[in-house]
Order: sequence, then structure tokens, then C-alpha cells
Amino acid sequence: MARAASSRKGAAGKPARKRPPKVTKPVAKKPVRSATRVVPAAHEVPGGPAAPSAISMRVNGQTHTFEVGRDLTPSMTLSWVLREKLGLTGVKVACDEGACGACTILLDGKAVLSCMMLAVEAAGRDILTIEGLARTDPVVEAFACQCEPGYGTALQCGICTPGFVMAARALLDENPRPTMDEVKEGLSGNLCRCGCYSAIAQAVQHASERKVAKGGGR
Amino acid sequence: MKAPYTPRVPRKFIGAYRPRIDARDKASGKTLYADDITLGSRFPGLLYAKVLRSPHAHAQVKRLDTTDAARMPGVKAILTYQDPEVAALPVTSAGWTDGVDTVSYERMMWHRFRDRRVLPDTACWAGDEVGAVLAAETELQAEEALRAIKVEWKVLPFVLDPVQAMKPGAPAVHPDIAPDNVMPEDEVGGPNVFVDKGDVGRGLAEADVVVEGRSIHHNATQNSLDNWCCVVEWNDDRLTLWSNSYEADQSRMHISQMLSLPIHKVRVVSSFVGGQFGRGDTGDQPFFLWTALLAKRTGRPVKFRHTRRESFHDSRQPAIYDGTVGAKKDGTITSMSFKSIGNAGAYADHTMFALKFAPKEVTEVALAHIPNVRFESYGVYTNKLPACMMRGVGNSQLNLVLGQMVDMLAEKLGMDPIDVVIKNFGHEWGTRPDESLTRVLHEGADRLGWAGKRHAPGKGPTYDGTKRRGVGFSFHPGWHAEWQEVRRGEVHVGITINPDATVTLDAPTVETGTGSNTCNVLGCAEALGFLGVTAADIHWVSIVDTDTSSKDCVQTDSSVAYLQSEVMAVAALEVKQKILDRVAPILQVRAADLQIEDGRVFPRAAPKRGMAVKDALMRSDKVPFTVKVCRTPPGDRTGVPYIATFAEVEVDTATGQTQVLRMVVVNDCGTVMYASGAEAQQVGGQVTAVGEALTEEIIYDEATGFPLNFNWIDYQIPTMADMPEVEPALLEVWRGGGEYGACGIGEGTVTCGPRAILNAIYNAIGVRIDDIPIKPEKVLEALGKG
Repeated sequence: MARAASSRKGAAGKPARKRPPKVTKPVAKKPVRSATRVVPAAHEVPGGPAAPSAISMRVNGQTHTFEVGRDLTPSMTLSWVLREKLGLTGVKVACDEGACGACTILLDGKAVLSCMMLAVEAAGRDILTIEGLARTDPVVEAFACQCEPGYGTALQCGICTPGFVMAARALLDENPRPTMDEVKEGLSGNLCRCGCYSAIAQAVQHASERKVAKGGGR
Repeated sequence: MKAPYTPRVPRKFIGAYRPRIDARDKASGKTLYADDITLGSRFPGLLYAKVLRSPHAHAQVKRLDTTDAARMPGVKAILTYQDPEVAALPVTSAGWTDGVDTVSYERMMWHRFRDRRVLPDTACWAGDEVGAVLAAETELQAEEALRAIKVEWKVLPFVLDPVQAMKPGAPAVHPDIAPDNVMPEDEVGGPNVFVDKGDVGRGLAEADVVVEGRSIHHNATQNSLDNWCCVVEWNDDRLTLWSNSYEADQSRMHISQMLSLPIHKVRVVSSFVGGQFGRGDTGDQPFFLWTALLAKRTGRPVKFRHTRRESFHDSRQPAIYDGTVGAKKDGTITSMSFKSIGNAGAYADHTMFALKFAPKEVTEVALAHIPNVRFESYGVYTNKLPACMMRGVGNSQLNLVLGQMVDMLAEKLGMDPIDVVIKNFGHEWGTRPDESLTRVLHEGADRLGWAGKRHAPGKGPTYDGTKRRGVGFSFHPGWHAEWQEVRRGEVHVGITINPDATVTLDAPTVETGTGSNTCNVLGCAEALGFLGVTAADIHWVSIVDTDTSSKDCVQTDSSVAYLQSEVMAVAALEVKQKILDRVAPILQVRAADLQIEDGRVFPRAAPKRGMAVKDALMRSDKVPFTVKVCRTPPGDRTGVPYIATFAEVEVDTATGQTQVLRMVVVNDCGTVMYASGAEAQQVGGQVTAVGEALTEEIIYDEATGFPLNFNWIDYQIPTMADMPEVEPALLEVWRGGGEYGACGIGEGTVTCGPRAILNAIYNAIGVRIDDIPIKPEKVLEALGKG
């Protein structure tokens, strides 16, 4: 709805969001259901450079420096920069308004919706995307292997999976042995339309067992 | 660990519990979807397109001024409805194909309902793509330029409700096609009374008991997380489309015909798709066409992607179903009649598939033994979001009333509804009691504890002071047996045997999450068992590229799970012969005297003289070789298997809140192709079923016709915390045709869920609510507390 959809992530320097510009996702809570009409929008540089200043962020262990005004604008979301600038396409953008969890990343170890955060706010922060996980990561392993009778697989189309994996990582880092209720509560900010919830919950429990067995957790 | 299913015929690969072949890539975020393969960095010079959308439910563009927009930074091209290349495009519809096979413009399924123009001057719903589209250097520039287009609208009267739309004087949505908004009778759907067997009036007169009821199915939508997008490049005379269409060959035909290009000048590339659920059929994709025209005008690649809110672009047909059923005292049904009014929304799309085509299939199988049957239906245009295909198209709406009638009838007869079902339903080519139907119902009943938990409606115990529990079920015939897939035309499979006896499998189908890719690899390993290969030795080509792939098996339905495996079983015979022919000169034995087993080839007379097939092939100069088989699914009429879903709910009579406590989903699969995948469908389908039953609904502002909840905050999809325990049960009772005799099950897992839940709610509180979604206010109103 172009007409009604005229709000957007603000132009240079002036975020026009109706929501707070920075929403970190408390892992244990659902996104707030509200009728706020925030429409996902494009994120590119509209033109005239702002006063250049550099920001740096650590992404998957590597430091990236961006000139604000040249490489990115203050209105760009973190998810956009991770995907379009760094090519980290494991960060999925589905709703672009904080409702589905597909873009979940870890920011200083906490699960955050990267579509709800401006890239400039990530200055000096430590970001982990799914690309930064080891291929042998217990959560990745558990999601990949889940197939026991009675639950189905932990993924089907797979587009929500990176978000679930990262949310599950954060959950297990905070709570290495979650109960099933804690898993359900912890991951209820992520949507899976293929409906793999019960297998995902199993996978998280298996990941917990693997992590604990490896002496993981904290 | 829960108990696995018991296969009827134990096999090495088919029917396995194992991870999906793409699980590791998906779990580690490596799988690329359309928005990933079309990143700006991958397409130098990429432009971004945005389309004008109507702010009115019904309006005509009187004047459109693009002068200011054209001067905006970054804008490279603007197309409007007045441009000759736009105006020249033929009028089209989502029935462009017949849903499963590639067809030409002339063979479109619903050619009587060609009601879509690409960039028309008239908008038929609030959000309709209308009038103008532009391309700019960035998405933001495109969006800003769009707002600079000055539009003078002629606002037209609108109508949202199908019953209102049928009344004289109602605003006509497509006056040229349906002056009274009622879609005319057509060749595919048939007359308004599209089934009229026996004499329902006489059947009712003969009945001892008659029940009447109404079920209302609201506007649910597919909600794939992967929003529709594409990039089109049109260099010289050749056009390439990258997209998350699930039908590459069909898209190629569509583009070729709409843009008057020879087919070989069009290339369509489809990557992994992040969920489909019926979302959008080929003709429902005008954005491919305008993106292409922009690419041609600018000479640069152009990307168009829907935002999440724009992705609310089609839905399940809302339908009001009235049913009347009569039966003898012993439960024998003498008459069934149903009348539906379906809300097509702004465009016909596949509405008639839902209202007539799918229900007619049900009458041919499940209702075959009912002597008097009548179905009458009206598809009505309104100014709502158009209704197209959604998982379980038409069957879901019909099941809501079918399961209601059975439940009401059983209560009036004082019978267990399970007995009423077994007594009356089956299929055309079988006898009653139908074994498949009996087994799915008994399995579900046993697993849920039906006998112990069922009580008289509203007469069960109370929990926590205000909560009542109840159980219910619904059943439905499957509809993806091999004989029902004949209209797909030929299914293509290519098996390439490499010199080291590994396999490259060209079984093209766009992987949308259904797991048919894993089914294909298991089917290939099973068929090539003589080679001693495992799934790890087989590479399934995951990207469908019309330049290099065979024709893709369209992911419109779950039968893809077995259709290509059936072809592989045939192809394997030829593969074996070709290997023997190649090894014969090496072993210096006639091919007819050679045998292959478990990866070894040897003379039958002297088994020890043999060698590993891969060692033999490595010595041949005629490898790799490819066997390609194209085959129409055989049409042997084998009937269909059955589906049943059982539910237990708890209704809080103080708050009206319904919680589903437990569900049991039973599918007779014929043959389970891939157990973990089939169970994932069974369990996963309940997210849509529970959502449709309790929360999912598009809500409109009645005053403006504007949809209010095109987002996942206000349109509520169940989350992990909302879902009950779902127990999947796989059976192999019925058998279809071919090597495996399987049946697609994915859609039916959704179909029976809402009615099972509604019957359980009735059992809990003793008051019927048959208008989904069952939100708390409806429960309170039904309880007289509204």
C-alpha cells in the first residue's frame, strides 16, 4: 500500500520510525502485538552524504569499518547492512518489522532482531550471525540431524531456521538446561510457518544435551 | 523416542527416518533463496522497481502525472497503463496454467475469468497494483519517487460481503465478466449446480432424521516467510528471470506468451523457496511482466520484491457453506446437499477450483455411496484481497461443513460419529466399510483416547472452576493419488551415471520445503539399489534452470513426493541395461549373461570373475551416460486413501479462550516415501490448522474497505508457545498405482484440523460455533455472555 505505506526508516539522520529505533529482543518474550502501522521500507542511500564519520563493528570475529554517509546512512538497518554490504545472507529478512524473528543475530551474546536495529547503533558492538557458527556447532548439528519418529524434522523450507538457531543459541547460553516450557517460551518470538515447532523444541533439547556433554554452556 | 510407523513392505531407503538432504545447509544458513541470489552485489547496475498501489477499495485512475517522479534522484524509468508496451499486454488470470501443467494462453484453466490486466487503470481492492511502476537506482529512491506520482482517483463504490455483492444494485467489480458479481458458469467448474445425483428431495423424504447447518470459513492467507521477488535481465533478445516462483517451466511459458517471445529466448531460474502453501500461481505474477518491461526499457537488470505487507496478496477463499443431510435411523445417509457462496475477492484466480473442482472430486470418491447428492455454488466478486490457492484448496472449506454435518447427524441419531462415517463413506471403486477410512479413524481414536474422553456435548467435568474439555475429529479423502495427477502431463527425470558410479539426479522441482528433494534422493537410491549406492552418492540438482534442467515437476501439491520416484523406478531398468552394455566388452561376457548386485557386476556363470561397477565403468569410454525418461502418471483408478485429525481442547467459559491440548493426525499414505518428512508435514500442517481455527483472519475496515492487519503482529500465526502436542500417525493401508502406490498428504494435514477443533469445542461447551476463527468473543457470545 504505497499510499498508506509512506512511513519508512527515516532519511538521513532522522529516523522516522514510530517504534523505538532500537529494539533488542528479550529472548523470553513474544514480540509485542500492536497495531502500529510501521511499513517496511527500503534502506539505501538517498543521495547527499552526511558528515562522514567512521563506525566499526565486529562481525563474526572480523572488524568492519564503515564511513557513515559513504558506506551507509544512519537510516539503514543492521539486517540490511549485514546482507547487502557484507553478503551475510544467512540473516533472513521476512517481515522487516520485528514480528517473525528470521533476522535474529547475537549482539554481544544476546539475541537481537537485526531488522529492528539501525546499523549505526551497532558501532563498537560484537555481532555473531549464523555464518559465524562452526559447522559443528551443537545447535546447528541438532537442527540438521533432527528426524526421530514422532516429531518430523526441525526445518522444512528452512528460511526461518537461521533465526531459530541463533535464538536457540542465545537461550542455551543463558540457560544450558532449559525445560520444555522454557524452550517454548524462549523461542516463541520466532515464526515457523512450516510448523516445525515440536521438532525444533526437540532439537534444542538435544543441543542442550550435546553442549552439556561437551562441557559447553557457561 | 516415540514409536516409528510399520512399513508394509520394508525397503532400504524409501520410508526412512533420516535428516533431509538439505538439512545441514539450511541449519547453517547456507541455503540461498531468491532474495539472496538477487543481492545487488551480484548484479552490477541493478535497479529496483516499485509499483503504485491503490489506497481505495475500488477506484479508477482519472489522471496520472509522473513529471515530478521522473525528476526524482535515481529514477531511470516509469511505465504507466498508458504506455503502449503495457497496454498491449493481454488480459490474464491466475488460471494461466491449469495448476499443475504448463499450458498455453489458449488452454488457460479459467479463460472465462480473464479479469487481470497488468497495471490496469482500475483498482479492485485496497492494495491493488495499478497505474504505474518505476525503476530507480535504489529501493528507497524508487519508493520516494512513487510518492511523487500525482494520481487523481475516481473513487468508486465498493462491496466486501459476497451476499451484499449478489444483491441488485451492488457495485459491480468486473461488470464485463459478471455484471451481478456472480461468476458465470464455465467449462471447468461446470454449472452452478455442479453435482446433482439422484433426487435429494426424495432422499430427505425417506430420511428419519434431518440436520441442517452452516459453516463459515474466513480469510486466511498462506504466509510464506519468503516474500515474492524477482530479478529480470533482458539483454538483446534474451530474457532471464531469477525468482522464487515454484514453477519454472510454467513461468517461462507465461512470460513467453505474455511478452510475445519465443520460448527458447526466455530463461527462468528458481532457487530454494522459503515456503509456498499455495501462494500465488503463475498468472498471479504480473510483477514478472512489468519488471521485464522495465529491464527492457532501461537495459539494466531490475529487481522487484514484495514487502511483507505487500505479500498479503492472495488468500484462501472465504466461503459460507450450508449443508442439509438426511439419514435413516440406522445411520444410513439418504441425502446430502451443500450450497456455498464463496468470496473470490477482487479477481477470480482459482476460486472456482476451490468452490467446484475440489468438492466435485470429493463427491467422486468419499460420497460415491450416498444415493442423493447435490452441490451448488456461487463464486462472487467483491473488493477484497483476491483468493487463490492455499494448502488444501477448496477441501478445507468443504471439510468444515462436512465434518459438522456428520457430528450433528451422529448426535441426533445417538450414534458415535466414527460409526456414522464408516457406515457411509468410502470411494467409488471400493466397498464399505472402506478399510483405509476405518483404519485412520480407529487409529486416531485409540491414540487420542476417544472412547474415554468423549462425553455428551457440554456435559463433561469442569476444570479449574471455569474450564471445559472436549474432543472432536474430522476426516477427509486424500486427493493426490497417481491417477489424479494425470493432468500434469509428462513427469521428467534424468539420471546421469558418472564413471565412479556416483549419480547426478535431474529430477527438477523447486524445493519449497516439502521435502520432495529428499524423497527424490531416496527414490533414486532405492531404484538404483543394484548399484549399491546410498543417498550420499546421489547429487540432486537443486536449482531449476530452464536452460539446463528438464521440465520441473510443479510444486503445486504434495504428489511431487512420489511422482518423480515412480519415473525413476522405470528409468532404473534402462540404467541397468546400459551399464551391462558398457561392462560386457570389458569383462568379455555377453551383456545378457551379466548380473549386477550391490555395486558388483559379474558373469552369472562365474560370480567371482566380477568387479565393482565403478571399477568397470572407469574402464569404459562410454561414461558418463544419461537416461532420461518422461512419463505421464498412469491413470489406473485406484481410489484414494483417507485422512483423519482428532483434537482435544479446553475452553475457558469465563474468558472464551480456547486452548488446543492435543492433536492426533492420521494419514494413510499408501506408501510412506520419507517418514521424517511426512511427519513434519503432519505436525507442521497443524500450525495453519490451529491458526485458521482460532486466530487467523484478515480484518477489513468496513467503512473504507481497507485491510487492517497485513502484518504478523495483528494477523496472528501460532507460535511455539501456542501449539499443542501434535502426534503424527503414518499408515499404509490403501495402495495406489505404480511401484510405490503412494499418495501426497501435505495438504490434507491442514484440511481436517479446524473442524476437529470445532467439534471438540462443541463437545466441551455444548454450543456450536461454526464460524472460524473461533475467537474468545464468539465463544462468550455463544455462551450467552457476549
